[in-house]
Amino acid sequence: MNLSLVDPFVLAQDYPDTLTEKLRSGHATCLRFNHTGDYLASGRVDGTVVIFDIETNGVARKLQGHTRQIQSLSWSRDGRYLLTSSQDWKCILWDLRDGSRVRTVRFEAPVYIAELHPFNHLLFVASLFEDQPVLVDISTSKTVKRIIPSAPLRAHSANGNEIDPATAAKQAAQDAKHSTCVTIFTAFGNHIIAGTSKGWINIIETETCKTIHSTRLCNGVVILARLAKNGRDLLINSSDRVIRTVLMPDLSQLGVAFECSAIKLQVEHKFQDVVNRLSWNHVTFSSTGEFVTATTFMNPDIYVWERSHGSLVKILEGPKEELGVVEWHPSRPMVVACGLESGCIYIWSIISPQKWSALAPDFGEVEENVEYVEREDEFDVHPADQVHQRRLDLEDEEPDVVTLDRVEDIIDVNQSGAFGVPVLLDISDSESEEDIIAVGPGTMRRRGSGDGDTDRDIKAGATGATRGSGRSRRR
Amino acid sequence: MSSATAPGAGQAEAESQRRSWSKSRERSASPQRAEYERRGDRKSGSSAEISGNTDEYWLDAQERRSPSPIDRNAGLSSNDQSDRGSHDEDGMDHDGEERISEREESLDNSSTPVPSVETRAKPERLNYKEKFVLRGHLRGVSAVQFSPDCSMIASGGADAAVKVWDTSSGRLIYTFEGHLAGISTIAWSPDGQWIASGSDDKTIRFWNVNTGRAHTKIFEGHHNYVYQIAFAPKGNILVSGSYDEAVFVWDVRRARVMRSLPAHSDPVAGIDVVHDGTLIVSCALDGLVRVWDTHSGQCLKTLVHEDNPPATCVKFSPNGKYILAWTLDGCVRMWNYVESRVIKTFQGHVNKKYSLSGCFGDYGFHSSDADAAKRDPPLAFAVSGSEDGAILCWDIISKSVLQRIEGHTDVVLGVHTGKYNGKRLIVSCGLDKTVRVWEEEEEEEEEREERDDAVEDPKANGISLSAAHDSAPITGQALAPVDVIDNEAIADPDDGDNEMVDIPSEAASTTETTLARAEDVEMT
Repeated sequence: MNLSLVDPFVLAQDYPDTLTEKLRSGHATCLRFNHTGDYLASGRVDGTVVIFDIETNGVARKLQGHTRQIQSLSWSRDGRYLLTSSQDWKCILWDLRDGSRVRTVRFEAPVYIAELHPFNHLLFVASLFEDQPVLVDISTSKTVKRIIPSAPLRAHSANGNEIDPATAAKQAAQDAKHSTCVTIFTAFGNHIIAGTSKGWINIIETETCKTIHSTRLCNGVVILARLAKNGRDLLINSSDRVIRTVLMPDLSQLGVAFECSAIKLQVEHKFQDVVNRLSWNHVTFSSTGEFVTATTFMNPDIYVWERSHGSLVKILEGPKEELGVVEWHPSRPMVVACGLESGCIYIWSIISPQKWSALAPDFGEVEENVEYVEREDEFDVHPADQVHQRRLDLEDEEPDVVTLDRVEDIIDVNQSGAFGVPVLLDISDSESEEDIIAVGPGTMRRRGSGDGDTDRDIKAGATGATRGSGRSRRR
Repeated sequence: MSSATAPGAGQAEAESQRRSWSKSRERSASPQRAEYERRGDRKSGSSAEISGNTDEYWLDAQERRSPSPIDRNAGLSSNDQSDRGSHDEDGMDHDGEERISEREESLDNSSTPVPSVETRAKPERLNYKEKFVLRGHLRGVSAVQFSPDCSMIASGGADAAVKVWDTSSGRLIYTFEGHLAGISTIAWSPDGQWIASGSDDKTIRFWNVNTGRAHTKIFEGHHNYVYQIAFAPKGNILVSGSYDEAVFVWDVRRARVMRSLPAHSDPVAGIDVVHDGTLIVSCALDGLVRVWDTHSGQCLKTLVHEDNPPATCVKFSPNGKYILAWTLDGCVRMWNYVESRVIKTFQGHVNKKYSLSGCFGDYGFHSSDADAAKRDPPLAFAVSGSEDGAILCWDIISKSVLQRIEGHTDVVLGVHTGKYNGKRLIVSCGLDKTVRVWEEEEEEEEEREERDDAVEDPKANGISLSAAHDSAPITGQALAPVDVIDNEAIADPDDGDNEMVDIPSEAASTTETTLARAEDVEMT
């Protein structure tokens, strides 16, 4: 409702420029906005998941169930369910209505990334540490796991030609070395995009779990893959210090307009720092997909590139520590990132200046001096009741006070069923946010006497154990 | 969420919006939509493409999911929901098309309401009849509100008590005591679990309706009487206006002030939050009405009427495009706040001294009357109390008084509309220590003329005043029995109503000031 009143210049700005807020609840390692952008889920080192309300910057819910660092978070489309994966070899699907666990799935290895199907919150895909990725169906209480292939699709094996047994053996050996590091769903969830340790991108059909396409993008490990909101732009961060944006074909047209063999992944941009040879901790698209953002290794800066020209437009600064996960708000120009050392969540956004003309109705803001021309009848005196009556007679509009703006509805169609996390009034009783205070770089101390749980985070944060685990994937 | 298209430019804008909408629809429906869009269009074009398609999926999926527990303005949105229901039954193919045509229709309606030929005539008057008189407050009742589902009524008054009543039976459910001085304002949280009350003791307190207990945290921070409070639609934010001239935005979960708006130079009397929570409106006795951005806390607009009369209450219209403002010159003005224009002035009530309040309501066909509801521009009225003991309902478009509800014997301070079990209700409260519930009675076509005579008869109005107490029918027509409920007699054993008599004398004196707020201003 406020758009018609907000300064258009403020609205026109698409990326944030100032560090505006700092959130803190334990040591956060992992962040994710829900699809409407009302809530921010943050996973902590101690395995607690905290849901922040972005409007109030307060804690809306705390979810306790994991015992080790949270690795990834994934919201269901309506925002009611949240899938968390952790280094304690578990994935948990939470119902945010009451904070209960819908399902707990145990794996044979720590989980890298688990992502929910875009429309079915009872289906998710998980990539595991030194294990094969799985597609997990949790629609019944008995979990069904299906293994997804990691090996790339060999071009000639499809031809049906004779394959030299020696080459075949070599390939098999190579294939065995592939492990999948990232798995995400496409926009409709019909396909899975998987990134492997050898730099391959595999496209896998969800229904059959068969690889239908493979492309080698780079030589390094694929660390992270993200799809833009439009579902067609893919962002790949790999350990060769290059961030790639890839144009995807419309996979929903597969078999209608084109065949599997026609799939081509085309690299659009490569973002890298040639001079400093920086590598990137975490990458994300902006809400519209126009910008790409990345946090840098061993550096407190966040880089923002614009995609139409592929140029660097902004470096967000502020905190004194290296940043880990970075996320972009789904509708506003707002970037959040968490510090690796302190576990603080930093928020960059736009501070709009107060328009003074808004405070005094009879003043207007002018660019330069304007000579005032008085109206002919401006200072004529009329009897008060006459003026009043004339005014009343002029009120001949037919306003509609009930019907909501349809324009608004179009945008809100997806959100109409959006779930609001219940407002709990006694939430912050459990643990105060000011429990931990920083006494120096990398060292934290608990205010007052503490219990064992929080002490553990402090140690973890101080020794950098958490950072090591995040980086092990890259090496 | 863009808002309020100007009525003048609305037509053209609506046209173009419709065109672009249907275009994107066509595109998403056609099978050859694989062609890739250039970057310039990406923001609008291809994201719409996705959302357009996933829409259908989403609507289907929605059936399986339970809806959000916060169901605000249930009465008003029911229209939309019935639309959606019909879509689900339709085949996937013409689903898209049909929606376009419907949208076109409604776009037309919103810019230029064209009365359709087939609809029934618009009712000329309302017919609310007294249903209950709820007694129990020991002093004047300053605020009353239906719960979000309208099953309960909360009222707060100068006796420092919040009372919760059952809408269907009129029984007293709870009496919440704890405030040290009179209560000026109450608000239900959108999930219906909590009642917030603002008092002359400078605090806001929360009461849990499920458990009947007070919230342990007290919202302290104001330096003077809390005048009016309002919840944001999600229930996570509470906004309060105070006699200390500030507007506080509270984080409800932490009971802490999130932001203090340097609002006014006189006591802030009215406050409201728009339906999507992005705007706050406040008004003060300095005569200014200010619109704020909830997120940034900045003033976006200031509205002031030439004569600068003290403004005592503000309300957003249900669609958030207009603001209704009560001023002490005996007018209720409806503002188009985007253009800073008064578009309607409602008169006929008496308002010189007290902070009266009111709200919007709808009338005419029920939304179950799906056909009529869809074609007609929705009929709405504004309702307000009056210092002569009446409640006035004005038609929004014609400004004519649709009904003058008589019954209260003293100033009517608070009025709220609601809908329960398919019946439209009004609840009102006032200085006569009562809360009254009024129910709309459906008129039969043949009876209407007869009824018209009856209402116009001045005697009938006079009778209805006393009729409430005698529980006798007003005219010859059959009426719903008018219950007079004396809750002091029913009094719950747990909450001793009788203990309430000993209000600290100091508090008693301050409550006088709440109710006679305007007097203070005149004095200073």
